[in-house]
Amino acid sequence: MMKGLWDRETTALMLLAAYMPLALFWIGYGGGQALAGLGLAVLCLAVWNLVFMLARAQPPSFAAIITALAFAMLAPEELGAFRLLFGLSFGAVMGELVFGGWGRNVVNPATVALSFLGFGFQGFDWPVFDVPVVWAAVPAAVIGVATGVMPGAVMLGAVASCVVALAFGAPIIAALPAAGIVLVLLVADPVTSAATTLGRWLNGAVYGGLVVLFAAGWSGAAPVQIAIAAALLASLAAPLLDEIAVTLWIVRRRRRHGRN
Amino acid sequence: MRVLRFGSGLNPSFPSPPLRDLEPAEVITQEAAIRASSGQTLRIDTLVREGEVVAQGAPVACLRDAPDVKFVAPMAGRIARISLRPGRKLSEIVMFREEGDVVRHDLGITTDDTGLRRLMQNSGVWPLLRRRPFGGMPTPDERPTAILVMALDTRPHAPDPRQALEGCEAAFERGLLALSELCDGAVFVCQTVGAALFQPGLGGGKIHAVVCPDRHPHGSAGLCSHGLAPATIETPVWDIHAEDVAALGDLMLTGILPMTRLVQIAGEGLKESRMVRTQPGADLRELTLRAAASGANALMSGSPLDGHEAHWLAPRHRQVTVLPRDSKKASPHWFTAALTRSSLPKPVIPTAALRQAFGAALPAVALVRALSSGDDEMAMRLGALSLLEEDVGLADYVLGGEAKLAVLLRRMLDRIQTEFAP
Repeated sequence: MMKGLWDRETTALMLLAAYMPLALFWIGYGGGQALAGLGLAVLCLAVWNLVFMLARAQPPSFAAIITALAFAMLAPEELGAFRLLFGLSFGAVMGELVFGGWGRNVVNPATVALSFLGFGFQGFDWPVFDVPVVWAAVPAAVIGVATGVMPGAVMLGAVASCVVALAFGAPIIAALPAAGIVLVLLVADPVTSAATTLGRWLNGAVYGGLVVLFAAGWSGAAPVQIAIAAALLASLAAPLLDEIAVTLWIVRRRRRHGRN
Repeated sequence: MRVLRFGSGLNPSFPSPPLRDLEPAEVITQEAAIRASSGQTLRIDTLVREGEVVAQGAPVACLRDAPDVKFVAPMAGRIARISLRPGRKLSEIVMFREEGDVVRHDLGITTDDTGLRRLMQNSGVWPLLRRRPFGGMPTPDERPTAILVMALDTRPHAPDPRQALEGCEAAFERGLLALSELCDGAVFVCQTVGAALFQPGLGGGKIHAVVCPDRHPHGSAGLCSHGLAPATIETPVWDIHAEDVAALGDLMLTGILPMTRLVQIAGEGLKESRMVRTQPGADLRELTLRAAASGANALMSGSPLDGHEAHWLAPRHRQVTVLPRDSKKASPHWFTAALTRSSLPKPVIPTAALRQAFGAALPAVALVRALSSGDDEMAMRLGALSLLEEDVGLADYVLGGEAKLAVLLRRMLDRIQTEFAP
């Protein structure tokens, strides 16, 4: 009879609100070209959501705009509209819509789309972000964590692992801005990151560790490419990390009470 | 009021007019009914006929499978209507109030376990107990591993059990001692921060006071059971409200079971909130007669989070919520309906709100996923057997009513009961 707030669409809108600082700075510095790219991505995802709504009675979600934003910001440049739409369609359909829409997906559709473009069309330049855009990721993360729609433990885990790597003198300074933006846009997604507190710390640490590993060992890769590859592998590891965390919780509880 | 406080749990605020006065008024309604809790099935044998006059506390019906467990008249009066569903399942036994006697029970031998159980079952205290797992009242000879005495209630607009216990501290201690006879393990008195409710060392150290945070759902028996003494099929846990324990203490001294309980009437559909002492099964229309605002209102027994629309106050409930009924809206355009409705229920997104709705006491997302995918074994390992529908009421509310966790949990508990329980 009375309803609370936190259904799927509120969460999607709150996430969208959290991404606003990042989006506005990026559009402000990117100008009309950025806006056109975002509009194209939104249009493409709207069409696919409509197709799945009509074909499978699957209600569309505002989260598609977030996917579009992440894709438009991180996609390789000079790729051409056809390849962009091809990659985005693959990511949205195979990464999200066939699983039942936002909330039932196992990997972030934007991560899938970007990885697909990275593997499929090599040799294109990956975007480089202006310094203010990079810093705009900080308020985005703060809003997301404060409203509870982004997992704070994931961010802390990633930051902690990068700080440790820096302390040991790993050469990751160049990769950090892109890694930060990808952390906020793709890794700190509430659906595809781990869902337990310990799992989230581990998930963030895995992402940070992979960024360090790739930055140190993957020669010739652009920072954004490194971060996206790390994000893909980290989100694939998330269910395993959750499983570990839940098993540990059950063991600890059994030890305390002698039963479940 | 401090705005920022650390700690887990949520206290959603529901609009309600201020209380008329803090001192409860005694209201015994002209009609009352004996009914089952929502979702509970009781197969009974009636002990009276329609039209018969009974005294307050006189047995009216007994359980068909356990004739020792009686349901008693909440007031002296005439039996107006006995309505049973097929299979002799209790629907409601309605009574009209009349002047009459009060039944005084023979105290005889109440020092041993058998005598105490017989007294509790004959006098109508037994149905006030609830067992976990699966809910409902315990079987007549069950021995629990722990008993939780709920001396706090964190649901919105719930009356404070401390207020209910004022002036009956001695009876409360007597009731606690009696309960400690019935169980092998500890008796936990869950309370808020504040003065002790009983002498420390009562019952030879078997009775413990536990201070719980004052945010929902920490004051729900399910979460307390989850943290203190997890219920499993082999280790049942009982819970009982502190006011009922005091009533048991009174019964053991005088032989008369006090029939009034502290009930708060609140909600948006009222002109003023009220605090009353009334009998179980009270008529909700009479309780809200002059207080309800004009217009169509829904009368609910229970809190806004876990209540249900009812005519009579449900057993164990201590809250009445009055909400304005939504006017019937025109059905949405087919395209809007297609945009919002779906063949599958919408998925639950893991947010901080969901975690807090379970008091950060368990892996909430894992539990919700186990519930919605029907993974009984995982849910049992995560402690679902300690929970009942009312404990997930907050989570259901927070998630916008789309997840229907209470329904999923009841379905799962029924399945576990048929598949795993002996």
